[in-house]
Amino acid sequence: MKKLTVLLLCLVLALPLAACAPSRDATAVVRYGLSNAWDTLMPYNSPSGSNYTRIVCDKLYDRLAYVHADGTLDPRNAAAWESADGGMAVLFFLDEGAAFHDGTPVTAQHWADTIALMTDPDCPALGRSVFNVLAGTDEAGAALPGEALGAEAVDTYTLKLTFKTPTTPEDFLLDRNREFYVLPTHLLEGTDPAEVLELPLWQAPVGSGPLTFVEEIPGSQLTLAANPNYQLGRPGFDLLVITVMDKSNLLPSLIAGDLDYYAFGGNLAADDRQTAEAGGITVLEGTVPNSFYELMLNNERISSSAVRRAIDLALDKQALCLHTAQGLGEPTATDLTPGTAYTSSLTWSRDVEGAMALLEEGGYDGRTYSLACTANRSGLAALMQQQLAQAGITTTIETVDSAALFSGMAEGTYDMAIASHTPGALPLWFTESRFSPGNNIFHVADLTPYTGLISQIKAASDSGARQALVDELQALLARERPFLPLWFGRTLHAQSPTVDNIDYPSSSFSNENVWEWTLQAG
Amino acid sequence: MGRYIRRRLITAIPVFFGITLLVFLMVNLAPGTIVDLMGEGASSGADRAALEQALGLDRPLPVRYAGWLAGLLRGELGQSFFYDRPVSRLIAQRVGPSLLLTGSGVALAVVLALPLGILAAWKPRSLWERLASLLSLVSFGVPGFLLCLGGIALFSVTLGWLPTHGMYTFGTFTSLADLLRHLLLPAGVVCLSSLGELVKQTRAACLEALGQDYILTARAKGLSEGAVMVRHAFRGSLVPVLTTILSHIPHILGGSVVVEQIFGWPGMGSLLFSGISQRDYPVVMGVSVVTALTVLLTNLLLDLVYGLADPRVRYGKG
Repeated sequence: MKKLTVLLLCLVLALPLAACAPSRDATAVVRYGLSNAWDTLMPYNSPSGSNYTRIVCDKLYDRLAYVHADGTLDPRNAAAWESADGGMAVLFFLDEGAAFHDGTPVTAQHWADTIALMTDPDCPALGRSVFNVLAGTDEAGAALPGEALGAEAVDTYTLKLTFKTPTTPEDFLLDRNREFYVLPTHLLEGTDPAEVLELPLWQAPVGSGPLTFVEEIPGSQLTLAANPNYQLGRPGFDLLVITVMDKSNLLPSLIAGDLDYYAFGGNLAADDRQTAEAGGITVLEGTVPNSFYELMLNNERISSSAVRRAIDLALDKQALCLHTAQGLGEPTATDLTPGTAYTSSLTWSRDVEGAMALLEEGGYDGRTYSLACTANRSGLAALMQQQLAQAGITTTIETVDSAALFSGMAEGTYDMAIASHTPGALPLWFTESRFSPGNNIFHVADLTPYTGLISQIKAASDSGARQALVDELQALLARERPFLPLWFGRTLHAQSPTVDNIDYPSSSFSNENVWEWTLQAG
Repeated sequence: MGRYIRRRLITAIPVFFGITLLVFLMVNLAPGTIVDLMGEGASSGADRAALEQALGLDRPLPVRYAGWLAGLLRGELGQSFFYDRPVSRLIAQRVGPSLLLTGSGVALAVVLALPLGILAAWKPRSLWERLASLLSLVSFGVPGFLLCLGGIALFSVTLGWLPTHGMYTFGTFTSLADLLRHLLLPAGVVCLSSLGELVKQTRAACLEALGQDYILTARAKGLSEGAVMVRHAFRGSLVPVLTTILSHIPHILGGSVVVEQIFGWPGMGSLLFSGISQRDYPVVMGVSVVTALTVLLTNLLLDLVYGLADPRVRYGKG
């Protein structure tokens, strides 16, 4: 009994010791939460190609520009840019103050060498297709032998990128900026391109971004330090500690004061708004769409476009948006992001009777379609099931994880699946990758009408002509309905109580203005 | 004894390879691969094909298993698909934190459960027994994730005593007090999760022992109740209690998936979780190998400890 008493006493004594929080006076630490892990610190070798990897690489390496959520651009490594060669090229004038973490100035040659190295056919870079817009590369982004690569250092601080088709600087940056990073090629000299990805450098990288590498536990924790020489200014803190934790613990940690911020942009579900506000967190309502919800369709199994259009008419997108985002979003008839330069006159309205007529026209035989969703969207799927049933379409819901959902759609296991994506400002942000022979996830029998229009849109340099082609593509999509656009959602941002100057909305576009973040004193 | 150990080790070999084959089939037959997670289906066909080839996912299953097995026999656990690093290195980084978290949680549970179980058996219908019943109920009845979130809500959000996540405040070891602060809450959850089974087992074993003739003899000899309980009843109940304690060893090494994931603890459990959700087969296989080996060795250890705890246990020559 005495021993037990002693033990309990020790435990009681240990509590106050544990309750002593370490002082933060000496080091200004920003504690950053992430709900999923990054896979690599080598930006061109990410198997997942996920935004979690991009948001981490964004801090270690520099990009050409900073993209705001509304599609406006700010200088980053490139201080300015302009179109050249009749729209076939873009000149980037690099910031002469930019330097790598080892002190070496960042030059246009670094950019040109980075692109040359990553497009080298011998280099097994996984994310190489990002370069396939450049002249002298194939569809996979590999350099074509005997052709001049469209990346050239005009002078020390002027980089020229030449494209296959006319491309404005804005189009290029909105589309590809988040995947273009400058590497410390001066540290890679003499390395065989086949072995460059295996260098220990990528486990303790030297970049030119606003933060420098300190320590990593892969998939769990990453410690970065402020780069005092970053050309856009030194971040207003000393260390940034990124911890991977469950989504369910992000908001409680912010309320408890154990996190200063979580990605992406303190993204908050509408259901959690009250909890956040009750916990003293200021909630900011997003103004720019940051999510696009779609119903993926298997066009082989649902082969009649009339039936696909019937499904579209049977769904009450307003109610679905209300259920999921408490109304923070707009139902849509297209995949064109609202607020961007490209618009569509197509509108959406629910019409159950019209849906029933179309089902008859399409010869719907009463078969039950499988509807796949992830666990967090089972309520949404149930609501869809009810709405479709009102028009006479029967469905069965299958709850699976993300990998099973996408592989199931690719393999044709499911007839429909609910998915969401981060929208882009360009008119082809959604369609281009989904209507290609290598990724025909909707199982469209004949891709030619789509790929033909997509190629024409990409080649159109005049905005009026491009808008007309975009209209044509959207009309085709509305006629055929290979997938159903549901709504564009806006998010809520749980504002950091301890860090100022965070550009919350832009973080969902995989860049964060950490050089402007300031940790409040005390 | 040596012969017995040798025989057990030899029989463990096919069991071990059987486990690896089962895990390999289960993870590989699950729908989806890491390629399906690439940019949520938005990546180009060229990227997908390149990734499949680079990771060897384009090869048939038997070839992949044979390749993995050949690596294992060379002492290699393969390269993580997701992190592009040797799995053995990832595991080496995660074993320490898991041992610390789950080890301290289970150790605390043992320290609390043994006296509580003995007291509950010794003094039925007392406060001790009610406390034991309550803790068992919470331990068995409340899911781990709810214990985690409840603990965070109470000790971190409401009281502000303990941190909600992580292992260190500054991302690296700065002081023991800092580590302890971060450890207390997740280890407390692990402790509470393990407590119920241990208390129940100790109480039941002690109660059973108390009905034995040798306890009657001890009492007849005039020994104090405390001495009867600790020296005789508890000693007699050691075998089932030890079984329960030792059965936690694989759990200690394998980590607690839910606790580590919610608290952002950099252990084996969170590594396994990310391995499964990212379809990172080499990582899942690596963690499974470590866990399978631990289970097999623990079983052997259990058999040996029985002999020490209970003199009636003898290892046959046959």
